Amino acid sequence: MKKIASTGTKGGVGKSTFAILLAYKLSKNKKVVLCDCDVECPNDYLILNQKLKNPTKIHQQYPVLDKKKCIKCGLCSKTCRENAIFWIKDKYPVFIYDLCTACGACMIVCPKSAIKTKKEKSGESFTNKINNNFWLVTGRSKAGITETGPIVSEVKNRAIKFAEKKKTDYIIFDTAPGTHCSVIQALLDVGKAYAVTEPTPLGAHDFSLILELLKKIKVPAEIVLNKADVGNRKLIEKIAKRFKTKISVEIPYSEELVKAYCEKDLVRMVGLI
Amino acid sequence: MKIAVSATHRSLDADVDPRFGRCMCFVIVETEGNEIKNHKEIDNNAIRATRGAGIQAAQTVANEGVEVVITGNIGPNAFNVLTQTGIEVVTGVTGKVKEAVEKYLKGKLKDTSGPSF
Repeated sequence: MKKIASTGTKGGVGKSTFAILLAYKLSKNKKVVLCDCDVECPNDYLILNQKLKNPTKIHQQYPVLDKKKCIKCGLCSKTCRENAIFWIKDKYPVFIYDLCTACGACMIVCPKSAIKTKKEKSGESFTNKINNNFWLVTGRSKAGITETGPIVSEVKNRAIKFAEKKKTDYIIFDTAPGTHCSVIQALLDVGKAYAVTEPTPLGAHDFSLILELLKKIKVPAEIVLNKADVGNRKLIEKIAKRFKTKISVEIPYSEELVKAYCEKDLVRMVGLI
Repeated sequence: MKIAVSATHRSLDADVDPRFGRCMCFVIVETEGNEIKNHKEIDNNAIRATRGAGIQAAQTVANEGVEVVITGNIGPNAFNVLTQTGIEVVTGVTGKVKEAVEKYLKGKLKDTSGPSF
């Protein structure tokens, strides 16, 4: 099964549109799962004319202190990279749940196994069948959750398991914009990432950031240049050269395509590309 | 009594830093009655923290054994852990560190009932 990502740092450049069109095109003769990893505002289902029903809950394991076992050594607090554990000498550590990302490091380092866990709902996932060859797995975080990386990771695992069960040829991860934890989680272990951008100064600036990230996590990158015939493509070409990547897909600006997108007419959109 | 004041540089004559979690440093003032007896300056390692700077800074001053924190603004996380530890928090303070401590000792500064932002 090939793992592909559609990503980019700037919003509104067409990451989701590209992911959906790619999945839809592939589904003509291959089996595909599209996984919407933009869990803070997933919306692939909207373009695909679906409703999110029958959620499966996603939980995170937050630390809880067992005071009977705690020896107040402070190792948990020193280990926590989120500064989510307040500890002062000879006192019990205090967990600050607003900052906790449920990474579990404190539980691993505790020499007395004094940190138990409590399960709390942090999000949910949904599965939709688009056609006989095409499924959509969507992740959605609970409002107010500040650290969504672990939710993306869980949705991704579920989507991969589902794709393995259905024996699909492809799984496509549509990431959130940016280079933060949630995006990194979506991109880890992906075979190839399409970095979607547009030939504008903002597009170019943000584009070099995503290429930097992909290089760091060793994911091969290819470029999708949307609205390729407007703006200044030299901006993008310069960065592409610096990162030794190629523009492999070009989508020209088309008013017809924008209209079809606004009307959620997928078939027409595919026909226009 | 020990008092921690967020400061813009390492001196009793420095300005009170308006930020708590990401202040430049802390001046720890030791008092006896209404007099300043001693003082020292400590670094605020939390200034470069990616997250939870307030918690880390609160830990630093709490480990110094202070009873009072004087600062400009403080967030909810740091405010809660400090007050739960029994440390009095005074916010909205401007001017020099020394003057702020003197004002506090004369009872001209009141503790705060909640975080300032």
